[in-house]
Amino acid sequence: MKQKSLSRRNFLELVGVAGGSTAVYRTAMAMGLMQETGPVATLDLRHVGPAGKKIAVLGAGISGLTVAYELERAGYDVTIIEASHRIGGRNLTVRHGDRIDEMGQEQICHFDDDPELYFNAGPARIPGHHRRVLYYCKILEVPLVIKANVNRLAYTHDEEHFGGKPVRIGHYITDTRGFIAELLYKAVDKNSFEEPLSAADRERLLLFTQSYGDLDKNGRYQGSMRAGYKSGGFVTAQEYYENLGFKAILNSRFWEESNADLENPDWAEPLLEAAGGMDNIAKGFVRNIKSPILLNAQVQSIQLRQDAVDVEYNHNGERKKISADYCFNSIPAYLMPGIPNNLPEDYRKALFSLLQGWGVKIGLQMKERFWEREGIYGGITQTNQRIRQIWYPSNNIHGKKGVVLGAYDFFDPSGFFDRMAPQERIDYAARCGDKIHEGYSDYVEAGVSVVWRRMNHMMGCGAMWWSLDVRDQYYDLLQQPAGGRHYMIGDQISYHSSWMEGALARAEYALLDLDKRVRAESGESRKG
Amino acid sequence: MLSETTRLLFAVLLLVSAVAVAGDELPIPADEYVYCTVCHGVQLMGNPITKSPRLSGMESWYVENQLRAFKKGWRGEHENDVIGVDMRQTVANLTEEQIKDVAAFVAATRSAPPAETIDGDAENGKRLYSSCAACHGVRAEGNIALASPALTGLDDWYLVQQLRNFENGARGSQPGDTYGMQMRAAVVTLADDRAIHDVVKYISTLEE
Repeated sequence: MKQKSLSRRNFLELVGVAGGSTAVYRTAMAMGLMQETGPVATLDLRHVGPAGKKIAVLGAGISGLTVAYELERAGYDVTIIEASHRIGGRNLTVRHGDRIDEMGQEQICHFDDDPELYFNAGPARIPGHHRRVLYYCKILEVPLVIKANVNRLAYTHDEEHFGGKPVRIGHYITDTRGFIAELLYKAVDKNSFEEPLSAADRERLLLFTQSYGDLDKNGRYQGSMRAGYKSGGFVTAQEYYENLGFKAILNSRFWEESNADLENPDWAEPLLEAAGGMDNIAKGFVRNIKSPILLNAQVQSIQLRQDAVDVEYNHNGERKKISADYCFNSIPAYLMPGIPNNLPEDYRKALFSLLQGWGVKIGLQMKERFWEREGIYGGITQTNQRIRQIWYPSNNIHGKKGVVLGAYDFFDPSGFFDRMAPQERIDYAARCGDKIHEGYSDYVEAGVSVVWRRMNHMMGCGAMWWSLDVRDQYYDLLQQPAGGRHYMIGDQISYHSSWMEGALARAEYALLDLDKRVRAESGESRKG
Repeated sequence: MLSETTRLLFAVLLLVSAVAVAGDELPIPADEYVYCTVCHGVQLMGNPITKSPRLSGMESWYVENQLRAFKKGWRGEHENDVIGVDMRQTVANLTEEQIKDVAAFVAATRSAPPAETIDGDAENGKRLYSSCAACHGVRAEGNIALASPALTGLDDWYLVQQLRNFENGARGSQPGDTYGMQMRAAVVTLADDRAIHDVVKYISTLEE
């Protein structure tokens, strides 16, 4: 009984303070319930001296670059072997003239030659708790700017609800809260809780519901200014939106996916992006790395030996070999069955339980920034169409043109966009946009699509485990180096697949493990 | 004007750039065809996780036929052929010349024999195979005159999948695909999935 009243008391205290969730967060931190992400300090890797140790890094994506950056500073002799024609992996920003290396149907980006017209086809957002990404941006001097993610003036759109017309997200959320609050108010009013509330508790809860949902003095939701102005509000009297109706909201689908999305910590405002394109992070690493980065070098074999890892690769029409002390391998795990290797059987089994993830993004160059005329500056419109989302650029506000993210499909087992020719994808995305913005398709000047499942040397976006059980079975094994020398790296070996922070966290873990081994080794030799 | 010799040299160079093979060394694909090995693996050894079959050493004439079949939509168009759809998209833009280049590369590749991954009764399969042998050869070595490919060296899971495709019409039901239609007619000798597994089990005992 005591337990119960305590939790109720907690609840009332919580709703009684502004910024309640922050308070809970702080308390949880103080109690040690939540693990701090980061903190990031220098890794303090032991310097291995001029003789060095040889490192083969497979893949010049974010994880491979991080490993190279850290190890060359600790005196290691690093070579990066990259299969594709470019550095960055899925950290890909597309601009004028860029080649999209899709298997069998290459595209060239025909955006105007203007640095403001870019499209982040891979990572596009950095939240404040991705401490490692932010740390490297800072030390690599990669300028960051705020990126609007949630925009209450952007739309939620559902072809089958609200007459198929887009509804401002602020309007939708306000009405939803209003109705929820009204229900709660009525429940409090009837005192229909399991345990009776004290008069004071009741009073506070009623005040809370009124404030939370913007209810009138009788506890009824009649619509709210929080939904936005329909008209007026400056020199003429304001007119608010009519509320959408409880039933209509209940039947709509926006809340099914998006309620959580809007509050997921990885998308929690404010977010950041690298000014001028996310690939400036990869470029920041490259500026600070002296180790050779071989492009168009595809790995042909990985052989673990007692005292080395032999990696064979094709480069400039020749088959070459590097014998390294350690190998950091960011090749997508699902491609490893197609690469001859002698990794231990259980390790191979673990690797082969990772499957290709999905990810489709379409970038559209718009000849005018028509969304700004609708009061939309950055942020995302959500729709039930196959494009799922439209992202408005946060950069170059009031500029002449802009690149809109015209589709972001992150889960598509049917391969809907995969099987379209590039131009068909652009046309399709443009038509979807017409249902949300009048004349949308007329503004489209150029487009590119990046279907990660069809991208050369990738065949997927992030790796997914067959099931959570499989992950639990193999995760620990894949965190360890095979034979003490072969580290599988990348966001694929993390709980944050498809995030740069996942890649960095994994790289950090592997580097610290290596350091531990190298220190132990040298400790022994000192004793001897 | 290019002299005849220069032109010949040019043609040879093009061939060399498509497939660089020297003596016993493994062939290295030209940059523009490296993507074949991304899905199908190094030396086209196959990758069951991405569902890309082993193609190492496949007869070039058969590879050419199949690439054309994908281009024409004989393969990779049927809704049941999910993986074929990917393949079709990938090869849709190949020119006739590129098809020949790719086929030459495929034929030159070498890798270890595929692993056995399915269960089946090879004894029963041997009996069932007798009706396949007329076209595909007693040792499944293939017969170019009948446009029947060798069946050895293929992944067992892939053979099962393709036999099912012939059975359910994902393969061999497009007008114009004469050989495919013949094969679709022929699979009726395999009564059920058990029979498919048995015959494939037998084929995988045959040496490449």
